[in-house]
Amino acid sequence: MMRRTTLDWLATALLIVLAAVAVYPVALAVCNSVKTYREIMVDALKPPKSFQYQNYVNAWRLMQYPRVFANTLAITAVGVAGIVLFGSMAGYMLSRTKTRLSRFAFSMCIAPMMIPFQTIMITLMQVARRLHLSNSILGLAVIYWGLGLPFAIFLYHGFVKTIPVELDEAASIDGASPLRIFFVIVLPLLKPLTSSIVVLEVMWIWNDFLLPLLMVNSRQSTKTLQLAAYSFFGQYISEWHYALAGFVMTVAVPVAFFLLMQKHVVKGVVAGAIKG
Amino acid sequence: MTWRRSKLLSFAAFVLPAVMLILVASGIPLVMNFLYAVTNWNGISKTISCVGLDNFVELFTDDEGIRQATLFTMKFAILHVLITNVLAMLLAVLLDRGLRGSNLLRAVFFLPNILSLVVVGFLWKFTFTRVFGALFDYTGWAVFGLSWLGQPNMAFVSVLLVSVWQAAGYYMVIYTAGLQTIPRDIEEAAIIDGTSSAQRFFKVTFPLLMPSVTACMFLSTTNALKVFDVIFTLTGGGPGGTTTSIALDIYREAFVNNRYGYATAKSLVFFIITLMITGILVNFLKSREVES
Repeated sequence: MMRRTTLDWLATALLIVLAAVAVYPVALAVCNSVKTYREIMVDALKPPKSFQYQNYVNAWRLMQYPRVFANTLAITAVGVAGIVLFGSMAGYMLSRTKTRLSRFAFSMCIAPMMIPFQTIMITLMQVARRLHLSNSILGLAVIYWGLGLPFAIFLYHGFVKTIPVELDEAASIDGASPLRIFFVIVLPLLKPLTSSIVVLEVMWIWNDFLLPLLMVNSRQSTKTLQLAAYSFFGQYISEWHYALAGFVMTVAVPVAFFLLMQKHVVKGVVAGAIKG
Repeated sequence: MTWRRSKLLSFAAFVLPAVMLILVASGIPLVMNFLYAVTNWNGISKTISCVGLDNFVELFTDDEGIRQATLFTMKFAILHVLITNVLAMLLAVLLDRGLRGSNLLRAVFFLPNILSLVVVGFLWKFTFTRVFGALFDYTGWAVFGLSWLGQPNMAFVSVLLVSVWQAAGYYMVIYTAGLQTIPRDIEEAAIIDGTSSAQRFFKVTFPLLMPSVTACMFLSTTNALKVFDVIFTLTGGGPGGTTTSIALDIYREAFVNNRYGYATAKSLVFFIITLMITGILVNFLKSREVES
């Protein structure tokens, strides 16, 4: 190994400072979430004197946590499943079919990647209302399918090229139908990419704010975790002890997901970078 | 003939669901956008009349709000993209030296990106008010005593700071992956040639990292131009509209002012601007890429 140079020490020092800046606000928020209101107001930097679990009990109740959590879970699960299913099917077929129709369909499928969401959000809400997708958990997931598919198709289309076409042909000679070939032979081979896409889409849908705000915010029963957190923070902004407990409950699952799936998250982020 | 038909049938079975869903979510709304952009549609009334190009005339000549929002968005995007990318690359390079604890630190720097921008906005509201207040009491440093969200200039800095804090780790991951594709022997050859670390970075590493630079610049630019959530929750666009981005302005025009027709005209112009900026940027960066 190289010997330790002054540059290494400088690098280490700089990294530690930056890491502290990255973590400090989060760590303090967690620490203050178990303090009393008075403790927070007197000195936010001091460690908690006692463990105020009531903050969490109250935030749990006031945010209607179980309901909004279940909603978010359902939207994310259905949304991601649809994107993976329809995206892999279309990406596979578009990659394997070399006709003019197929090339045209492919460019139409991936073109929306260039459209900023804010450009279409206004008219998208009109379309959603006409199709009775508004104010519905399932309806929101269906819109996520449509918004997530272009990028998924783009990635699957490229990945399928690395799978030998002879595999399909051999199965076809054995009398397997195209659907059977896809689900039994091809889909399992797409798994490395699928895990990246799942991670990317989970991070997007779980944390998304604007689309749920436009589509499912008018009823308490359809709110997502992010919407509940937003209105909870707004309502209890001066009651930091509740708001901070709500904060911890909102970020707990994504952080746990990240810590468990770190390798896949990194792979997903890198896969997502080839958009450029 | 039947063989062709069965081919076409399976093609449709695989591709049609995706095509229909994309049409519903993007295709049809985009076409409607073009239609509504020349109307005075308010989202409620049944009668919609065509107003020709009036919306666009107003947009370019008589809308102080969008002018301010455009200036803000451009200033924000340039600074956000530069600072985020420099910081992300710095982190990636420092963590690529094989120091102990590098993997843990990578996770630490990525952590803010796991949090949604809604909670990030709240977290920093707490930090700017309670934490900075307490830090000011301890240290007496003026920087902690400022009104971070109350004054126009400081609010801009706050939005910038928070957005960089949240985003840097994401691009660090991309740069790290890019660094790992650079063959070690090239750098070793440069070391044997007696180059300094700085020379090695600027003459060898950076040029070979250009594909990652292109990707990160493209992604961060599109995200910066679309900035919405963090402003919505941190400053609400204030004080006095000084941190209102184009996206927030469009949102307000449609869903607060109920001027849907006018808002769609704005959103179309916004679309064209982002296309132009990212197109020019990617073309420029791609032309600078080299083969290793």
